[in-house]
Amino acid sequence: MYLYLNQIKAIVWKDLVTELKTRELFSSMFIFALLVIIIFIFSVDLSIVKANEVGPGVLWVAFLFAGTMGLNRSFMLEKENGCLEGLILTPADRTAIYFGKLISNLIFLMVMEIFILPLFMVFFNVDLIPFLGPLLVVIFIGTLGFCAIGTLLSSLSSNLKTREIMLPILLYPLIVPVMIAVVRMTGQILDGKSLGTMMNWVGLTLAFDIIFIGVSVLTIDHILEE
Amino acid sequence: MKNTSENSASAEPVIQVANIHKSFGVVQALRGISFSLHAGDFLTIFGPNGAGKTTLIKILAGLTRATGGTARVAGFDVSNGDPRLRREIGVIAHATYLYADLSALENLVFYAKMYGLDHPGERAAEAIKEVGLEGRMHDRIGTFSRGMQQRISIARAVIHDPSILFLDEPFTGLDPHGAKVLKQYLHSLHTKKRTLIMTTHDLSCGLEMGDKVAVQVKGRFALFEKKDNLDKGGFEELYFETINNGN
Repeated sequence: MYLYLNQIKAIVWKDLVTELKTRELFSSMFIFALLVIIIFIFSVDLSIVKANEVGPGVLWVAFLFAGTMGLNRSFMLEKENGCLEGLILTPADRTAIYFGKLISNLIFLMVMEIFILPLFMVFFNVDLIPFLGPLLVVIFIGTLGFCAIGTLLSSLSSNLKTREIMLPILLYPLIVPVMIAVVRMTGQILDGKSLGTMMNWVGLTLAFDIIFIGVSVLTIDHILEE
Repeated sequence: MKNTSENSASAEPVIQVANIHKSFGVVQALRGISFSLHAGDFLTIFGPNGAGKTTLIKILAGLTRATGGTARVAGFDVSNGDPRLRREIGVIAHATYLYADLSALENLVFYAKMYGLDHPGERAAEAIKEVGLEGRMHDRIGTFSRGMQQRISIARAVIHDPSILFLDEPFTGLDPHGAKVLKQYLHSLHTKKRTLIMTTHDLSCGLEMGDKVAVQVKGRFALFEKKDNLDKGGFEELYFETINNGN
């Protein structure tokens, strides 16, 4: 177990060191998410539509698109110079490779999302400070579900020539229930409701998180095999 | 197939391959390869492009599954994906398996951690020193020449001190100095009784280094011999004759 955790830690450490040196993943995701928000700001008249109603959808579309970009890049790094084969040749359990990549992706996306929130506040003229605690909980459980299934599918699509197209095609239909739940929860939080009043949505999101992680653990061995 | 090699009866073979087949759709990459090697053997496999040499190495390393036959390496069935097998083997291939944005030291520390080695930093520095690149250990792999990357790749492959090493055309892209360093290093591993299987197109180099020789043609071993039983001067002629007969 100690070795298993150390192997996960080593993969996360390797990804973080690579990102700190290149800043490729963070900067591309951040700029993409920012552009999505700016485009929406110009297409929505906030004097007619309430920011609390349209904002959550815009925020999660930005996270979803930028996150997909990050997931695509994540396994591409492992394909360069055949590194994924090198990783598979080590005695690490395949699930350790999955959890290492999942945690790395989760960290990168969460950091990008935290940097996007203040800009969202400015552009939509919404004060998120009073709701920051529950909002961060919702962002965490939503991003966990997205990364859990996204990491599995990016490992699958990284072997395909059309990987940039295949990942969203495979990912978006599966992530719809989680996206609906987190958009609804974010909207209710901005309306001043507490997290306790939306436990059905929290439960649904957590259930999908667990299902996505469970399916990934059961299938990653076969996906990484060939 | 001509096979006049004598196996030493003293010990159990460390590599036993029996009637291995591999198909990719309708293409048959391997069509019944069988051989065995004992600890300390050095087998060089020659063959034209598309003969299935890389596929054979990948099956023995557990990177891909055979569609028929069995292969046991270090006592483990390669199709089971046993992590204990992966501790016993090292692989050097065309691809270096190194992260271009990390330094040589960071790459090897990462692999040392993945193998669960004690003192990964010290072991990584030691491995880099063994391939003569201690002066560049903090430089990014992406700034290294092909030959230098290959030397770090060798350090990566042996960082956990494997008893069996698979080398898939390791001399590709190396300058004469890099090739010399690699030859010396492989020779030192051979003298330490490591078992090596190497594929190469370089007839003189491969013949010089191995103690057993195979020529693979169209997914089969058309020749498998002890080097001592071959006429070194006439090997090139024998190689082309074998390929022509195999085709």
